[in-house]
Amino acid sequence: MNGTSAEPGTAASDAGPPGLPVASGSETARELWRLSRGYRLRLAATGVLGIVSTGVDLIVSVVIGFLVDRVQAGTADLTTVLTATAVMALSAVLGAAGTALTIVLATRVYHSILAALREQLVDDAMTLPQHLVERVGTGDLISRSSDDVTAVADAAPAVIPVLTVTAFTIVVSLGGLAALEWPYAAAFAVVLPVYVLAVRWYLRIGLGVYRAERTAMSARAQQILESQRGYATVLGFGLAEQRHRAVMTNSWRVARQTLRARTVLSMLNARLNLGECLSLAAVLVVGFVLVDHDASTVGGATTAMLLVLRLLGPVNQLLLVIDTLQSALASLSRMIGVVTIPRGSPDVPAQAASTDVRLDEVSFRYGEGPRVLDDITLGIPSGQRVAVVGVSGAGKTTLAGVVAGTHLPEAGRVTRPSRTAMITQEVHVFAGTLRDNLTLAAPGATDHDLRAALEATGAASILDVLPDRLDTLLGVGGYPLTDAQAQQLALARLLLTDAELVILDEATAEAGSTYAGHLDRAADAVLAGRTAVVVAHRLSQAATCDRIMVMERGRIIETGTHGELIDAGGVYAGLWTAWEAAR
Amino acid sequence: MRNSPRLPGADTEGLGRGPLTRRLPVLLLAPAEPPGARPLESGPGTTPGRFLLRVIFSVRRVSVPAMLLAIVWQVGESAVPVVMGLAIDRAVATGDGGQLILWLGVLVALYVALTAAARLSLRLTAYAVQVVQHRLRGALSTGVLHPAGGAARAPGGNVVSVMTSDVARLSNAVILTIIPISRITAIGFIAVSLLATHWLLGLVVLFGAPVAVWSMSVLSGRLSRDTREYQELLASTVAQATDLVAGYRVIKGMRAEAEASSRYRQASRKTLAGARRNAGLLGRFLVGSGVVSGTFVAAVLGLAGWFAVDGQLSVGGLITAIGLAQALLPQIQAIASTSVPNLAGARASSVRVLDVLRDNAPSTVEPEATVEPDHAAQREVTAPPGLDVVVPGNSGPGVTIRVEPGELLGVRADDRTAARIVEALLDPRAEGGAEARLDGIAARQLSPGDYRSRVTVAPHRATLFSGTLRDNVAVIAGAPDRVDAAVWAAACDDFAADLDLPVGEGGNRLSGGQRQRVALARALASDAPVLVLHDPTTAVDSVTEHRIAGRLRGVRAGRSTLLIASTPALLAACDRVVELPDTVPATSRTAQ
Repeated sequence: MNGTSAEPGTAASDAGPPGLPVASGSETARELWRLSRGYRLRLAATGVLGIVSTGVDLIVSVVIGFLVDRVQAGTADLTTVLTATAVMALSAVLGAAGTALTIVLATRVYHSILAALREQLVDDAMTLPQHLVERVGTGDLISRSSDDVTAVADAAPAVIPVLTVTAFTIVVSLGGLAALEWPYAAAFAVVLPVYVLAVRWYLRIGLGVYRAERTAMSARAQQILESQRGYATVLGFGLAEQRHRAVMTNSWRVARQTLRARTVLSMLNARLNLGECLSLAAVLVVGFVLVDHDASTVGGATTAMLLVLRLLGPVNQLLLVIDTLQSALASLSRMIGVVTIPRGSPDVPAQAASTDVRLDEVSFRYGEGPRVLDDITLGIPSGQRVAVVGVSGAGKTTLAGVVAGTHLPEAGRVTRPSRTAMITQEVHVFAGTLRDNLTLAAPGATDHDLRAALEATGAASILDVLPDRLDTLLGVGGYPLTDAQAQQLALARLLLTDAELVILDEATAEAGSTYAGHLDRAADAVLAGRTAVVVAHRLSQAATCDRIMVMERGRIIETGTHGELIDAGGVYAGLWTAWEAAR
Repeated sequence: MRNSPRLPGADTEGLGRGPLTRRLPVLLLAPAEPPGARPLESGPGTTPGRFLLRVIFSVRRVSVPAMLLAIVWQVGESAVPVVMGLAIDRAVATGDGGQLILWLGVLVALYVALTAAARLSLRLTAYAVQVVQHRLRGALSTGVLHPAGGAARAPGGNVVSVMTSDVARLSNAVILTIIPISRITAIGFIAVSLLATHWLLGLVVLFGAPVAVWSMSVLSGRLSRDTREYQELLASTVAQATDLVAGYRVIKGMRAEAEASSRYRQASRKTLAGARRNAGLLGRFLVGSGVVSGTFVAAVLGLAGWFAVDGQLSVGGLITAIGLAQALLPQIQAIASTSVPNLAGARASSVRVLDVLRDNAPSTVEPEATVEPDHAAQREVTAPPGLDVVVPGNSGPGVTIRVEPGELLGVRADDRTAARIVEALLDPRAEGGAEARLDGIAARQLSPGDYRSRVTVAPHRATLFSGTLRDNVAVIAGAPDRVDAAVWAAACDDFAADLDLPVGEGGNRLSGGQRQRVALARALASDAPVLVLHDPTTAVDSVTEHRIAGRLRGVRAGRSTLLIASTPALLAACDRVVELPDTVPATSRTAQ
């Protein structure tokens, strides 16, 4: 398996079909500023607290220098030592408490903003124009609402201390050095280029290496997941040995990528050590000269040495989280990219709402492709049930999508009731109880309503086999349902809604012989008293509809009742003969 | 550990080209081939603790050198403040230029040594961890995910997280024999150096440091337990978002957008509460460890200051003591906040890994007498085997379905019976209802390899694997030309003109009907002597189904095929159809 051959070290953008937008830096900043409303005062207070705490913490180093000077001068006594010790302990404790409080406050604000953002993301994902989502696929949306949310949340422990305390420690310590004797700070500044070069090297090499590592890891997880989900396939085809070898190959590939990443890290470490060594040497030299010229004391040099040692930890920390910070920002801009999609119309509006369905000279094409619907005009009076039949590729599903409003017609006019529901062949059982699954469409429904709906759609037999009845967990990791059973539940769910127009797009196709009948009866119950468009591949289902429309190459070529069309002896009559013969 | 020679420009491993290979030294990268993996044994009697120890000590040849190097590294780090203290005392305080140069030299030498040791140790450690991960994954892959003879039950969804995150956490335990030991040695070094300065200072550190480590570990243990709890909450919220977005079209179809959002909001709020609580615990840990370490260091310094005032300690001694006390802190903090949670996490993962290995252990039911195929060599030229499936009846004697060699037999059965037949054929050793026989020999007596080489079962719920259409169809294809024949027979020609198109994760770039046809093509390409198909065209429209039915017999000519289906179009194409109604005894009729 060659996987996605993302080439590390090259441009960050993943090649592929045009996806959802990614927010620019300024858009991200603007949205974060908007989301921070209500937290701004707290954030400002947190910042002040952070600076004060690191300042208090700094007192320890100053007191030590003071103590050294007094001891060297011989002017120290027990009181001096006790006072110094008490001040050191107190400032260490106060500093630690203040620092901790700063981090707690900042972390809480961070998570509050992230929660607001992820909720808005899912909210917006649900209300995005469907034609847009159909174009880009749901995969991108899924990865933004899962992987990116996780990346931003996981970055918190690394990023927050750095953004609050560490940054302040660097500023305050440098300030302390400068206040002590400015040449100490200048000596540290001379070493700065070493760090700048190290960071530039790391950003150039490291990010690509980490991206390659993550890509390999997700390929590995995906492969394991497929083996688990496809256990029956692996068994039936005797693929165990082959899949095992592939998993092991990928496992070792990740190992190599990880080792490469660790190598880069250890090389960064070496560069940081070089910076450390030079900084300390510079302090020694500067201290030597200053003390020699009586511009500083030995205690001052000690304090300077302690301040530099204190500074180095945070500097290293800052550099080591740069990639976490950067990937968190990238994830953030992908999340915000969805949130800031202009919300013109949540869905394709019916140009006018009525209880009837009307299409006037409607045409449709996918992107720049050929016309899939060609100048279609039709009317369905309220309460009528219409079947759409035809061979594969005739445009039946596209027509259903245009009627339902998931596709925006290229030309023409669509009228339909505002309360429209559609079921396609695509089934999805949501993780949660059976009750959760059913009430999704009707939040107010009681258990009595649910049982009645299951009864009416013939799904009561499913309820009987579930171990915990309505409380049985379904979906991912829950009780496994067949696709046919899942579709029957979807029909029961639809029965609970107040939809006026129901569109079934081959909704009952997935079923064996025993189930086909069940599903057709369930569909009957759901359609009773509603306007309906049924895309059917079993003609027995079409035959029971009030009217049948036959499609061919994007046009409606025949329309009438089952009897009329059979008598006419056209395309439908031909299809019907073939269908009858096969039975 | 040298990288194998690589062709210039070749990037078979996806390790990246260009700047990477030019700038990164090839030395000390992992070999292209995994080291000869000795699997980690675990029997029924293995306790999680013992398993953990076995994991920790399984790569001694790498971890011991890594540990020795780590000791050099950590002691070196602790020596930095000492050297600085000495330099201030001997050079800065005296104004002696020669001493300055000497101590600068010592400082540089120290950094060179500790950096080199760190680099080597970090890489060896990472290598040791990866080797252990690979071995554990191998054990889980053969034992749970891909057992040769079929497992007692299908691996659950937890196998994925066990094989990724738990394996990683458990393998990190290897680091416990490397980093913490070097840190403890460094603490010992600091204590001994202080002993040399003043005996009491050394004693305070010797007894105080373990207490400080212990009290911080208590705080960090509580924190890391809560962190895991919070991470689970986060994971479940993220899973819910995935689930809702994956069901996007269904939600849209029934206009349940608002309800879906509000459910997610609820879960998200719960996770936020968890994050806030976790932040509070983090704060408590930070305050606690700050107080412990701050007062400890202040006490050491106060004591040293007093000895200096008292004349028991020189100024130089005082500065050295200050440096040592400074070096002590990071070591204590790192052990408490990294190594202790690492041990706790590894223990928890060890339990989960062992559980999965045990729950999914291959069925221990040994065949009474494995029948060795005595005609293995001739099999290719002789006729395909005949297959009998004995389906026990609800009451009374069972029904035997016989597939004659070379026959295409259709079976119409109710869902439950069909599922039982397929299960029995998927794993003949499983304790189920039905029993399979190949040429009269009970399938459970055949070795798994022999059985699988003759019988291929295409389950109704087929899974496509990431890769191209060709990867999927040709997965066990007999010959290359079989692929094209199978693609044609399964009527994939409308979308599979280019077989090198990727199918996406689990085939998600294809529609349901297309997925099913690719799965059918894969089954037909297999060239298996006996092929079992279960409802292979339920998602396919009737016109296409007709086309498939017409091509089925030709592509399976000369081989035995059992087709369990309910659609008339497919059954009409069979040589013979067996009806297995719920209660009525089986009747056999010949088509047409």
